[in-house]
Amino acid sequence: MAGIYTLDPRDTSQPSQSVLATRPSSLDGKTLGLLSNNKPHSEDLLRMVANIIGERYGLKEVVEYNKGGHQWPADPSALGDLASRCDVMIHATAE
Amino acid sequence: MQSDQWQFGDWEEALEHYFREGLTDGLPVVPPTPERVQAMLDYCGLAPGDVLGVDSIRRKQFPAEKVAISAVMAGCLPEYFPVVAAAVSAVCDRAYNFHASSTSTNGIANLVMVSGPYASRIGMNHGVNLMGNGNRANASIGRAINLLKANFYGSVAQEMDKSSIGHPGKYSYCFAEDLETSPWPSLAESKGFHPGASTVTVVAANAPLQLETHGDKEPEGFLTAAAHAMLGLGPSRSDLVLIISQELMAYVAASGWSRERVAGFLYEKTSRPAGEWDDWRRIDRLPPDADRERLIGAVASADRITVVPAGGDAGEFMAIITSWGSSRSVTREIAVPT
Repeated sequence: MAGIYTLDPRDTSQPSQSVLATRPSSLDGKTLGLLSNNKPHSEDLLRMVANIIGERYGLKEVVEYNKGGHQWPADPSALGDLASRCDVMIHATAE
Repeated sequence: MQSDQWQFGDWEEALEHYFREGLTDGLPVVPPTPERVQAMLDYCGLAPGDVLGVDSIRRKQFPAEKVAISAVMAGCLPEYFPVVAAAVSAVCDRAYNFHASSTSTNGIANLVMVSGPYASRIGMNHGVNLMGNGNRANASIGRAINLLKANFYGSVAQEMDKSSIGHPGKYSYCFAEDLETSPWPSLAESKGFHPGASTVTVVAANAPLQLETHGDKEPEGFLTAAAHAMLGLGPSRSDLVLIISQELMAYVAASGWSRERVAGFLYEKTSRPAGEWDDWRRIDRLPPDADRERLIGAVASADRITVVPAGGDAGEFMAIITSWGSSRSVTREIAVPT
């Protein structure tokens, strides 16, 4: 058949799959991590959410970490440390 | 080649397919036939699966085949492909932060500056209408990077690309350094590459700000005008490019100023007290106990200012281009086929 063939410019490879962590049925007795991206008011926002959660559940502890900037990923070793210390994490941005 | 192949009755049908699939920048593209893509690869002696770069954040690999497809679509000739390949390698450098700059609301474009003899070998423009239309190499090399960013990397306008305003450089943003009239060693050499090397320097770049000055023949005069404009773009910019056109470069040459002296002058001239930046609302409000007299430059340091002779031969013009956020410009040597 006459005509032309052309190529697909897109990335059609299969992205690696990640699995969501198991969600706890309750936050009672859990350690909550707050991961700030250092945007203005991001820590305020996270603490506000943590306070609301704290009113509803008996949290064991709240751990805060600021990754220092919104333009770069968090330091892998810091993420590993948070993963070992926290049961759940909240990451948020704000202005 | 690994890419899916599509069959069409004719070129018009193919063109409309690329439009429908959102695979253009809004302008028609050259349909990437396997023959045209192979010609790109052959020019550089590359195999389709050769990896030209790995994005440092998402670890996404850029196979030569996909880069060549984008180059064909952009309108590149095979001899432009060494420049495109070097630019892809450069944007993958971690310091450039391709991922974040391609998604940010800041709306930058990937500026490709070419230095060295390869630019003239492929007919790039370094003169009149420097960043404007009319030169195939400039237009298509810059466009190839932007098409690759959207189609392969996924930074599609209004999707992953969240530019609030953007600028026309997102179609194409590419030019060459003027080595014909410049009194200085090439930008490539000033970046530490060997004499005669050809390089690309990529910048996650905001739109150019053009300046016109009148009457000053001493660098202190017209560079003071540039410093004044830089104040509106500061403080602490991660990288800044100053383009100086031929008439002003002739004055620079006559005065014997080096590239480093120009950059140093601009840095010193734009270092202003923190309180002044605060008064102009260019930084977060200073706390009451802050040192308001501490000097802060418009750019993070003098060596973050890249001075490039380029532009037309009439008129006393300069242009200033700032980089995105914490992104650094990156320079790579072009692997010129022998």
